[in-house]
Amino acid sequence: MRTMQKATFAIANTCAVLAALYVAFAANLERPYWAMFSVFVIAKPISGAVRSKATYRLTGTLVGAAMAIILVPPLVQAPALLCLAVGIWVGLCVYCSVLDRTPRSYAFMLAGYTAAIVGFSVVNTPESIFDTAVARVEEIGLGIICGAVAHSMIFPQSVTDELKRRIKTVIRSCGQWIVDLPLQSGHPVDLLAQRSLATAVTEGHLLYSHVAFETSDAPRARLLMRTLEERIAVLLPRASGVQRNLAALSAIGAQHAALNRLIAQVSRWAHALAGDEISADAMHDESELQQQCAAALERLDRSPPGWPVLLEQSAIVELGELTQALADCGRLAAALEESNPRLPVALEKTARRSGSRALSADRGLGLLSGIAAACASLFACALWIGGSWPEGLVAAQFAAIGASLFAALDNPAEPILPAVAGILFALPFAALYEFALFPRVHGFPSLALVLSPALLLFSFMQTFERLEGTALVLAIAFSGALALGPIYQADFASFLNTNAAEIAGLLLAGVAILALRTVDPLWNARRLSRAGWKSLSRYARHPRPSFERWLIQMFDRLGLIAVRLVGTKRESTAPAEIDALRDLRVGLGINALRNVGTSPGAPSGSPTQALLEAIAKTYEERLRGLPGRASTDVAQHIDAGIAAVCAQPPSASRHATLAALTSLRLDLLPNQAPHAAPGTPA
Amino acid sequence: MIGEVDLFGVFFPAVLPLAVLAFVTSLAMRVILRRVGFYRLIWHAGLFDTALYLVTLCAFVLATRSVAP
Repeated sequence: MRTMQKATFAIANTCAVLAALYVAFAANLERPYWAMFSVFVIAKPISGAVRSKATYRLTGTLVGAAMAIILVPPLVQAPALLCLAVGIWVGLCVYCSVLDRTPRSYAFMLAGYTAAIVGFSVVNTPESIFDTAVARVEEIGLGIICGAVAHSMIFPQSVTDELKRRIKTVIRSCGQWIVDLPLQSGHPVDLLAQRSLATAVTEGHLLYSHVAFETSDAPRARLLMRTLEERIAVLLPRASGVQRNLAALSAIGAQHAALNRLIAQVSRWAHALAGDEISADAMHDESELQQQCAAALERLDRSPPGWPVLLEQSAIVELGELTQALADCGRLAAALEESNPRLPVALEKTARRSGSRALSADRGLGLLSGIAAACASLFACALWIGGSWPEGLVAAQFAAIGASLFAALDNPAEPILPAVAGILFALPFAALYEFALFPRVHGFPSLALVLSPALLLFSFMQTFERLEGTALVLAIAFSGALALGPIYQADFASFLNTNAAEIAGLLLAGVAILALRTVDPLWNARRLSRAGWKSLSRYARHPRPSFERWLIQMFDRLGLIAVRLVGTKRESTAPAEIDALRDLRVGLGINALRNVGTSPGAPSGSPTQALLEAIAKTYEERLRGLPGRASTDVAQHIDAGIAAVCAQPPSASRHATLAALTSLRLDLLPNQAPHAAPGTPA
Repeated sequence: MIGEVDLFGVFFPAVLPLAVLAFVTSLAMRVILRRVGFYRLIWHAGLFDTALYLVTLCAFVLATRSVAP
């Protein structure tokens, strides 16, 4: 983001805060500062993101307040029960919000902690529950609406610009890998690259979900974006497949001149594609490359059959697919730029096939986060009621807030320190305003003038990625500490006590999360990888599977695993069984076999169904941890399949089947090169 | 628009349901206008959307006032 955009964002945000404060004072709301910090909470540099966050926050607040109204009156005689009920509700909401990894998760989170905020604050005055709930909804709604309107009117920034920028980066870095392919044939695509690409796709997916909330001129192209995600997800497994075949070829010391020539050509083309603009020339060259791949395959058909030829052919098929996928990415990215996007005809079909998308959900982690959130708020309640600490209710509220906000994060301890630092930094700032400046303020204009430097500063800080969290906490703590009300009242004792309770609540949340949710990243990676095996074996057995849906979930999982493995900082010692790329390639192979099986003129006699069953069994055995007979079955089926297909006359689908079978054999039985080269007439 | 509406025993200012109704209506109008390609003629879509909402709300308020003063 350029400095100019940062400045306009800060101005828009300050205007929103002042407008919210003005309306709150004019409407005589009880706590105008709630409206004030709601603006900060939803503020995002992209206007579509602000509007989606605003919608979800409003929904969540309404549900949470309603829940408080339902829970408090019947349980107010038994505070312990009330705390328990609210704690369980918070935990349940956190569980749901961790499972849903889209921006919608925010609504669940809000539903949880709004119930805590409203419910706890009326424990001593239960008759005011309805008024308090309505007041909170009004104040938060006011802040949200002011923020959403200001950010969509004053220099709005469309989400599409950011999206295009990211897609370009992805295409460029993929082009760069292909350029490097011949240089690093021995090394597999490293974890950092896996992580960056997979997170880029997931972030793009999340970013795209904001487009529905974008101002009306932003083009809607959901189909396009889905296809693009699917094509990007194919790139990595294909590239690594080429590398795997190169490694296998050099392991048996075979020559592969045709493959080398093609790789050189493709990498030259990819270099051009990775340049600044995706040109039409590059697209034209792509079809030429495809023709050359087909020609090379036919030439290899005439050479004496054997394992090395199979390896080379399969590498060429993979290379062709890789070229196709990258070119499609270029075309789709170009189509996204248009105001009325139209898909190229060949891609239109793929796009129609792709159904709804879901990121992979992690139930176990969600459950742990939910329990941690419930425990944190219950513990704070115990301190509050058991210790008869009047400000303890603030601690309970902040424990619920903190536990909800930090729940989805990978390392929950990380943001807690900046948060506490933000509060500590905000205190002297707020004290300066409260005790030195406000006694001289009369009326709204002078209040606005006095506040705007601080508001501008906080908003500006929010635009820096590293300061974002601190700035948000700073702004919230600042508004909370000021506690701007219709009447100026300064009370130093309660000022200090409340803020101490805030910090205590946040720390409690941090401790609960640290104690319950800290997991070894390697263990987590293994768990995710096992979830992938399960989904792969299900996919192999499924009678009518959706390949695109499976692919996106698996690719998302690949990113999550790579993040965990990089997090261990000893990726070289990562166990060999965790290899999500291999699992993805197996899935691609299965899909290729299925596609060939359903196309007309397919080579008959390929024992596809039995092979798929055997693959599913292999993965189930892997899940149980005891290797059994299934892998030998797979080897037999594959070898039989290769022998059967080799006998067919040459055709495109024959090449595809052979390539899929060869690649499955390499991935599923890495250490067992075939004894006799299959395909040679025995 | 002075006066309140009774919704399940809770009194709301009459403008609140109108505001919600106007928002839904303007949302539908925006979808239609986008389909037609109207937004290619708009310089500042955010401003236009807000203005559209305000005009819709104003129309609703004036209409209800003429019906039930």
